[in-house]
Amino acid sequence: MKKKGRLNQDSKWGYLMIAPTIIGLLVLNVYPFIDTIMLSFSSAEVFGGRQFVGLANYTKMFSDSEFWRATWNTVLFCILTVPIGVLLALVIAILLNAKIKGKVAFRAIFFLPMVVAPAAVAMVWKWMFNAEYGIINTVFHLNVDWITNPNIVIITVAIVAIWSALGYDAVLLLSGIQNISKSYYEAASLDGCTKLQQFRYITMPMVSPTLFVVLIMRLMASLKVYDLLYMMVGEGNPALSKAQSLIYLFYRESFISGNRRYASAIVIWTVLLIGLITALQFIGQKKWVNYEV
Amino acid sequence: MNRILRKGIVAVLTGTMVLGLAACGSKGNGGSGDGHLVFQIWDQGQKAGMEAMAKAYTEKNPDVTVEVQAVGWDEYWTKLEASVSSNSMPDIFWMHSNQIYKYADNGILADCSEIVNEADFSEISVANAKGSDGKLYGVPKDKDIIGLLYNKELFDQAEVTYPDENWTWDDLEKASAQIFEKTGKYGYMAYAHDQVGYWNFVYQNGGQILNDDGTEAEYTEKATADAIKYYVGLQKNDWCPTQDQFANTGAAEMFFSGEGAMYYAGNWDLVNLCTTYPDMNGKWDVAPLPKCPAPAAGEGRASISNSVSYATSAKGKNNEQAMDFLKFLASEEAQKIQGQSGAAIPAYNGLEETWKQSFADNSYELTLDNLISEFDYSVKYANNPSRPSWEPKVEQTMLDIYAGTVTVDEGIEKMQSIATEAMAE
Repeated sequence: MKKKGRLNQDSKWGYLMIAPTIIGLLVLNVYPFIDTIMLSFSSAEVFGGRQFVGLANYTKMFSDSEFWRATWNTVLFCILTVPIGVLLALVIAILLNAKIKGKVAFRAIFFLPMVVAPAAVAMVWKWMFNAEYGIINTVFHLNVDWITNPNIVIITVAIVAIWSALGYDAVLLLSGIQNISKSYYEAASLDGCTKLQQFRYITMPMVSPTLFVVLIMRLMASLKVYDLLYMMVGEGNPALSKAQSLIYLFYRESFISGNRRYASAIVIWTVLLIGLITALQFIGQKKWVNYEV
Repeated sequence: MNRILRKGIVAVLTGTMVLGLAACGSKGNGGSGDGHLVFQIWDQGQKAGMEAMAKAYTEKNPDVTVEVQAVGWDEYWTKLEASVSSNSMPDIFWMHSNQIYKYADNGILADCSEIVNEADFSEISVANAKGSDGKLYGVPKDKDIIGLLYNKELFDQAEVTYPDENWTWDDLEKASAQIFEKTGKYGYMAYAHDQVGYWNFVYQNGGQILNDDGTEAEYTEKATADAIKYYVGLQKNDWCPTQDQFANTGAAEMFFSGEGAMYYAGNWDLVNLCTTYPDMNGKWDVAPLPKCPAPAAGEGRASISNSVSYATSAKGKNNEQAMDFLKFLASEEAQKIQGQSGAAIPAYNGLEETWKQSFADNSYELTLDNLISEFDYSVKYANNPSRPSWEPKVEQTMLDIYAGTVTVDEGIEKMQSIATEAMAE
């Protein structure tokens, strides 16, 4: 009996300690989330008036070609950014782990894009990609409409997105790599393993949990891409309707057209999409992520 | 254990990121206790002018202080809408003609008919402060106008005479062609825009976007459609950048880097342009918009004018004080202070000079009389209660026309049906 009472006492303290976070989460995240779900089932009345309309917003959404285009753009953006971005980050992490001079300086340089405001990043890149006066077309003697060709603009934004996230992902992976005990490598080289084999059989399995976290974070961030599109493509660009992502479409419906209910349906769809892809990753990870130390 | 822990971390990360999407919550700024009024605006650049008026009011009413809060445009409307549902609206706030019907027609705004003498203000600014029922739901704050900006240096180099009030669309084209030929720089830069772009051409040609009472769209009327076609066609000339080029480099950037000789801009941009490009002072000027040489109706002159109003909530906690402050804002004295700050042209009749003076005080060399004279024939910004739902889609259609995914004729038909459908809802 006494022991049980003691436990309750402990858990009381526990709950008290996590209360600030949990309350914050409930008020700032959970409540708006539930509210958004309810909004997506109501009609477009202004100022809080709500009328339940069932799936009307969703049927409108699923019959809208603009919406499907935005969904495809979002998925395409993930396909373009996630594999290349994570792979490059892994390569950089391994290089940064090597015994080279000025390692710390390099680490700082690669991490720098993460410190710069995304809006500033987008503005600078937009000038570099400028079709007429941009440095990229000038230096490489190209004549590419980076920002206005509807088929290219997603690639342009993907390049900037990869560049911005590279340093952060690399630092996360680097910490994973540095956690691997040196003794594994020593043992392996005594047994005559090549560097490539060491990477394949020691580094990869040992860093896989970190890699998994990076992969999940990058995928979610890519599915929510919005700020880069807003800054680099933006209103007034003829390619916008061809290049907009789901969250951009949400922004336009919600904040420009003032159509909060319909916009809520779009955002709930995005949440489902992210949930689905993340669930698939959790199933898939059993095959390749190694949690044994 | 390790595995569970990691899974937990990932799950929490997933959760917060997904949920974070929905968290666009916002907090209203409530009107607080007695003697303290909250005044919310969306333009940081006009904050000093608003504060000057607040100070003048406090000098007369020492027991009342007014706090001016400036937030960004997008955030402003999110906040204001949220503050309606939570009944914590700011005591005084700006109201834009884009939004006034939504607020006025739902009974959110206090009736200001008592404190405003309509005859003191410009007709358009009064019309923009009215709800669908024709009552005044705000105090007219300012009025704006569109002008032609031109680069004197490029005109000199190409030996073209500066634009004046007699210019027609033909002169605009001729000058553009000559500038392009002699200097290799662009002439008139006609970018996709309604208020600052094709609407002016539509009304100059005698067409309309909406009929007189705003109940029907008129995109397919001949005078309107012809002007839209003319405006879109301008980009086919060598001397005008294409919409793709504008998406890369804005017209203002091209103009101030000397790559283009002319573009249309609203008077609200001028202060900013003067302070951003001090080296260009004296090298550019403003002219009235060129007129239509052969309008389908009317004199061929028009320039779109829009305006902002001051408003207060119909059920605010400090209603009496807020109304008294609004009354002050409607006075000649307060409107004068606003004009002197250079932020905007006061809606109050006869105070254009104060706005002009603020430029002269900073020795910015612009012939602002050219803009002020346009108020004689200015046209009210096309607006009706369903505008927020049709306008973005109509603009998208304009871009589709420029992108070539629809023809001009198809596009105009589509714009007409978008607007008609939105108004029927």
